[in-house]
Amino acid sequence: MAILIVHSHVGTRQFDITEGQNVRDALDTTDWRVRAACGGVGSCGACVVQVESGGVSPLTLSEYQRISADARAQGWRLSCQLRVYSDTHIHLEHLAHTSVWHSIPTADLMPSPCKFREIGEYHYGVAVDLGTTHLRVTLWNRKTGQRIASRKGLNPQERFGADVLNRLDAALVNTDTAQELSRLVRNAIMKALRDMLAREVGEIRLMLPEIGLITIVGNTAMLALLTGQGYSDLLNPDFWQARIDCQPIDYKKWQSQWLLPNAKIIVLPPIAGFVGSDLTADLLATQLCNGTQGAFLLDVGTNTEIVLWTGKTLLITSVPGGPAFEGVGIRNGMSAESGAIWNIEQNENGLTLETLNHEPARGFCGSGLVDAITILVSTKVLKPSGRFAQPNGGDGYALVEGNSRTVITGCDVDAFQRAKAAIAAAMETLLELANMTWCDIERLCMCGAFGRHLNIQNAQAIGLLPPISADKIELNADASLAGCELALLNENGLLLFDEITANAQTFNLSLIPDYEERYINHLLLKPIRAETAHD
Amino acid sequence: MIEDIIKAYNEAVYETDKDTAFEVVNGALAQGMSAEDIIFQVVIPAVEEMMSLIVKDPDANLAQHFMTAQIAAEVTEKMLLLFKFPPEIIGRVVIGTAAGDLHSLGKRIVMGCLKALMVEVIDLGVNVTAEKFVDAAVAHDAQVIGISAMMVHTAMGEHGCAEVRKLLKERGLEDKIKVIVGGAPYRYDAELYKNVGADTWANDGVSAGKVIVDLIKEVKSHVTA
Ligand code: B12
Ligand code: FES
Repeated sequence: MAILIVHSHVGTRQFDITEGQNVRDALDTTDWRVRAACGGVGSCGACVVQVESGGVSPLTLSEYQRISADARAQGWRLSCQLRVYSDTHIHLEHLAHTSVWHSIPTADLMPSPCKFREIGEYHYGVAVDLGTTHLRVTLWNRKTGQRIASRKGLNPQERFGADVLNRLDAALVNTDTAQELSRLVRNAIMKALRDMLAREVGEIRLMLPEIGLITIVGNTAMLALLTGQGYSDLLNPDFWQARIDCQPIDYKKWQSQWLLPNAKIIVLPPIAGFVGSDLTADLLATQLCNGTQGAFLLDVGTNTEIVLWTGKTLLITSVPGGPAFEGVGIRNGMSAESGAIWNIEQNENGLTLETLNHEPARGFCGSGLVDAITILVSTKVLKPSGRFAQPNGGDGYALVEGNSRTVITGCDVDAFQRAKAAIAAAMETLLELANMTWCDIERLCMCGAFGRHLNIQNAQAIGLLPPISADKIELNADASLAGCELALLNENGLLLFDEITANAQTFNLSLIPDYEERYINHLLLKPIRAETAHD
Repeated sequence: MIEDIIKAYNEAVYETDKDTAFEVVNGALAQGMSAEDIIFQVVIPAVEEMMSLIVKDPDANLAQHFMTAQIAAEVTEKMLLLFKFPPEIIGRVVIGTAAGDLHSLGKRIVMGCLKALMVEVIDLGVNVTAEKFVDAAVAHDAQVIGISAMMVHTAMGEHGCAEVRKLLKERGLEDKIKVIVGGAPYRYDAELYKNVGADTWANDGVSAGKVIVDLIKEVKSHVTA
């Protein structure tokens, strides 16, 4: 990893950059994007930057064509051609307009599926993963199987509430709000698409009619609000395990609003009231059901979905375990952005806190919170019950003395305990229902952004993840997007989705008496017991 | 001797150490203390002590609430079996989770504490309709209806507490039966209980015990007066 130091008229910032990566790709994942109007092939010349010092790749042919000899002598380069090998300072005169859209780091995307369909016309396609907090969108050439671009941005419905129930409630109270919620997301998808076309293809108008297919996955509430279908059933416990029909009634309207006259729109169907098609997408991308042995899949988000593959059948449930892991309800909690403490190491000299982009610590993201609590327990500052050994009157404990951004309070620990207990107890309940034990589990896939930086040993030490060998645990942060892409590229995408969940059983944990008991036991901050027997 | 037992028991409860709590109780029985004395001199004062501590302690957390209630309820249940005469109960409460809500854990803590305080609790389960709350309260001659709601829409919704209030009014039961609510949404908005038509609320299960005991006394004084 090298550091890219960027100077611009608004200040100076540091970014991590993989050695050999080009500057445009690295910055495209941040909110400091360079201007661009081609796919980074050096043809538009919009992405110029000036290198001040550092170890970079030699000039390419397109840079000789696009940049004058004088400018080259002063260090001007095309950032899409400029690869960085060691810490480098650049000057970026023209930031692109600030946008809510950033591209997703390639390392986070799963490799593109390799089978492609025979496509006559309109061979571009768009995959959308519609999350409660974020939207992820990718643009594909379906004929060549090439992912042209990716974008990630905030779900604009957030202003109607961070959690799904608030948004459902808002929609139920007022049909205008319901329509607004749907419109907000449709606009966002359109903007992400246009941003990709403008920056990565350099052409919007001519490209729109070439798009032949859009596939959309998401949690049930998001799909219901998007399509305006079925959202009134979601709050009713009777529908928890039922399939909720949320297909758009008015495809034609969407097509004309999006200016996509030839795009077929497929909203991949959710499994049940609180189990969305993002979960089916995870299953496809991780190929969970291909093995003959037991495997778990967790998709940790605002709502955490949990699947047990027994080797023969699928058991599915969901718990509201998420917000704490995304920093919600934690005093110094934040999502994984610049300045978030994402990793904490303990050594002779004390603690080393690592923040994203090496910015001064602003708070903890989910993985940082897991590390912090684990360390507090292992150093006996916290007891396994979640109480501080030395009462601190609610002020909490600062991991770095005097730095209020590193404080963890008793309430934070409590919120974390509740969330992790909900998840751990759910996994154990599914195991019990299938008559299995942790020894039968050969694989555990952690999907969702929270898993990206997670320290597995720490998560096991405080009982969030089970006591199985760490090499059986896989972190697949963007699996649901990958599964959606599979549906986009596969001849029979919709069928894939139907097949995999055809025999799935969904369980509403509120109706399983043992769950309550397990939940209480799992509140303690200690490893999950290998045997599942309960008192 | 009794001081030592009380001290050891309180420590175990505060540290949420169920095994030690039971050891202390069994030790006391072995030393000849009666089940009645254990309840009235050790367990109930300990619950009361915990209430004041937990209320003052900003760090008290869910695990601790559960364990406290759990330990108190289990010890009480065990001791009640050993009582020479059936214990005299203070009053009766019907409790359940509001319609549409399946979160059962909150009321569990409340029930644990109430049992330890010698209040009889009739558990109506989860997803309880307003009709059922009122009918059950009348059938069991209960002084208090306790409604737990963990979600905003079940706390504020028209089929929850608001409808219970409506029914009580219609049937002229408002003096005989009081309504207490609890659950996460009420903790975020301390005035919410009024909007939904409850008589009162409690922030946590342990303090709910005291509030409910007071409510029962209030109703009983009305009725006898
Ligand atoms: C455990 C849990 C579950 C379990 C419930 C298991 C069970 N048998 O109860 C399961 C997994 C089944 C579940 C399901 C759902 N849940 Co849930 N759940 C939680 C969680 C993590 C803890 C809630 C809990 O039990 N707390 C324990 C109680 C004891 O804590 P407490 O509130 O502090 O209780 C004290 C006081 O309130 C008081 N009190 C409580 N009741 C009463 C009653 C009276 C009379 C009195 C006086 C006092 C009192 O005393 C208690 C003890 O001190 C919370 C999130 C959180 N971190 O709190 C979400 C949460 C409540 N759930 C939520 C949601 C959305 C759901 C689901 C819709 C999601 C899903 N995946 O299915 C379903 C809905 C099911 C339904 N229709 O009811 C949301 C509600 C959001 C909102 N805006 O309202 C929450 C807040 C999570 C979130 N942030 O999204 N859930
Ligand atoms: S030339 Fe670099 S992005 Fe177009």
